[in-house]
Amino acid sequence: MAVDFKELFGDFKNGLWNENPIIRLVIGMCPTLAVTNSTENGLAMGLATAFVLIMSEIVISLIKNLIPANVRIPSFILIIASFVTFTDYFLKAFFPAIAASLSIFIPLIVVNCLILGRQEAFASKNPVHRAIADGIGMGLGFTWVLTLLGAIREFFGMGSIMGIQLLGAWYRPMVIMVLPAGAFLTLGILVGIMNLISREG
Amino acid sequence: MEKNSTKNLILTLSIIGIISALLLTFVYQWTSPYIQANQAENQRKAINEVLSGAETIKQVEKDGETFYEGYSADGQRIGVAYKNSGGGYNGIIELMIGFDIENQKIFRISVLSHEETPGLGARITEQEFKSNFVNKPFGQYQVVKTPAQSELDVEAISGATISSVRTTRIIQDAVTKITKAYGGGK
Amino acid sequence: MDQFTQILLLFISNVLINNFILVRFLGICPFLGVSKQVETAFSMGLATTFVMTLTAAATWMINTFILEALNLPFLQYVSFIIVIASLVQFVEMFIKKTSPVLYKALGIFLPLITTNCAIMGLALLIPLNGYSFIASVVFGFGAGVGFTLAIVLMAGLREGLSFGDVPGVLRGVPVTLIIAGIMAMAFMGFSGLISM
Repeated sequence: MAVDFKELFGDFKNGLWNENPIIRLVIGMCPTLAVTNSTENGLAMGLATAFVLIMSEIVISLIKNLIPANVRIPSFILIIASFVTFTDYFLKAFFPAIAASLSIFIPLIVVNCLILGRQEAFASKNPVHRAIADGIGMGLGFTWVLTLLGAIREFFGMGSIMGIQLLGAWYRPMVIMVLPAGAFLTLGILVGIMNLISREG
Repeated sequence: MEKNSTKNLILTLSIIGIISALLLTFVYQWTSPYIQANQAENQRKAINEVLSGAETIKQVEKDGETFYEGYSADGQRIGVAYKNSGGGYNGIIELMIGFDIENQKIFRISVLSHEETPGLGARITEQEFKSNFVNKPFGQYQVVKTPAQSELDVEAISGATISSVRTTRIIQDAVTKITKAYGGGK
Repeated sequence: MDQFTQILLLFISNVLINNFILVRFLGICPFLGVSKQVETAFSMGLATTFVMTLTAAATWMINTFILEALNLPFLQYVSFIIVIASLVQFVEMFIKKTSPVLYKALGIFLPLITTNCAIMGLALLIPLNGYSFIASVVFGFGAGVGFTLAIVLMAGLREGLSFGDVPGVLRGVPVTLIIAGIMAMAFMGFSGLISM
């Protein structure tokens, strides 16, 4: 089987900017807003979601011809839920601190529209190697926005990034940034800025 | 066989269901010892934090509650730790509290788990708030928004009064339980 | 505090204080997607409230009588999502047969509800908080009402906004998010309302 690397790279790049899940497609918003109160949480959540996305895309792309069209969605959900459970137990066992701070948002990866959406739009129609490229691209696209959002909110809300204090005692933290209201405001402004960049670019 | 026949649909779903259930059973059995070890380790650390100097910890059941008695190297009981939990601002707050039964005071508290707002309620885990309870005598605690005046005052975290009040209430409840189980003083 | 008061407080706290959308961040997708018109937003809220109440009851029973009784916690996510998906399917079929009018109003929203994280979040929060059966149902209903309140308010604001002069780059999603942020700030005012 000849692998078209240019096509593969295109699939990968797609998720990073052109069809970035958060900024462009505006899906998977619940974890985006909820867990990005610190850089670390944003990164961890992004990677956990990326893992589930890539694994499900691989499995679904492999067995796509075996699944009857009528039970497509339930089968996808079952496969995704299994990978999410795996991730949840894995984090609880080996990274208990991360599991505690992400709490119920790990299980909520099951209903992240990003994951089901990619299975439906991509993995169920394309061969495995392209599904992997798409999964990695989308996963990383999701992760970088989450990490950036977490960094902005942590910087203004607590004066630190990745838990390292950057601003001194003179800085009065804008607590609103780590609260729900700050999440909406930051993401709104961020999407606006991205729109501005891509319009000029 | 028709690909979309009912029989085929049910068969596909069942096969996927069975495979995923089997795999998850395996994952559960693989990870649960680690998860339990993590929890036990957290609890042990918290007990050691609130009962400093305790060499051996003995688990005691009284009135259906579990207490952790800490003994020094020469067999003297230093104090008793008790795990109490209650509702916080966002979710359950779980605390480990060390008591000095003889002198009727709290040694120290440690937060096992919480779901409070980062930057606000989550500051119950910081020393500044926890130090409110270091060597605190038993009594009716009062949460105040100004620096503590009397020794029963608890200074609330600014912007997180609710988390402070709820945490204090959990500690108050623990004090009641410990006095009931161990009586007053010797 | 007697039980009735406690249940009532649980309801109020889920509508106003721990609002699913504005505080817990559950159900953001429909909140952004289906909040352009008050009428459709209200229908969506209604359908979601209905499914949420049923889900609370169904998942409580599954969790208590099957998963906890047989010690199968690792099947929680898988079984909850199946319950929700089949419940939505069932409700859709039921409404279609009994009330064509209602089906016309809610029909297109029902499939969307399966992947609404508010429902799954609700199912997961119930065992986490250890609610009783009645408390779970009230929790589900209250969460649904809170969801409806937020989405209808947002739709009202967006209807007004369509006449406003929004800078080009902020049109659509960004401005909606910023409004949601201001709403979340307003809802923070309720936070001291009840101390349980």
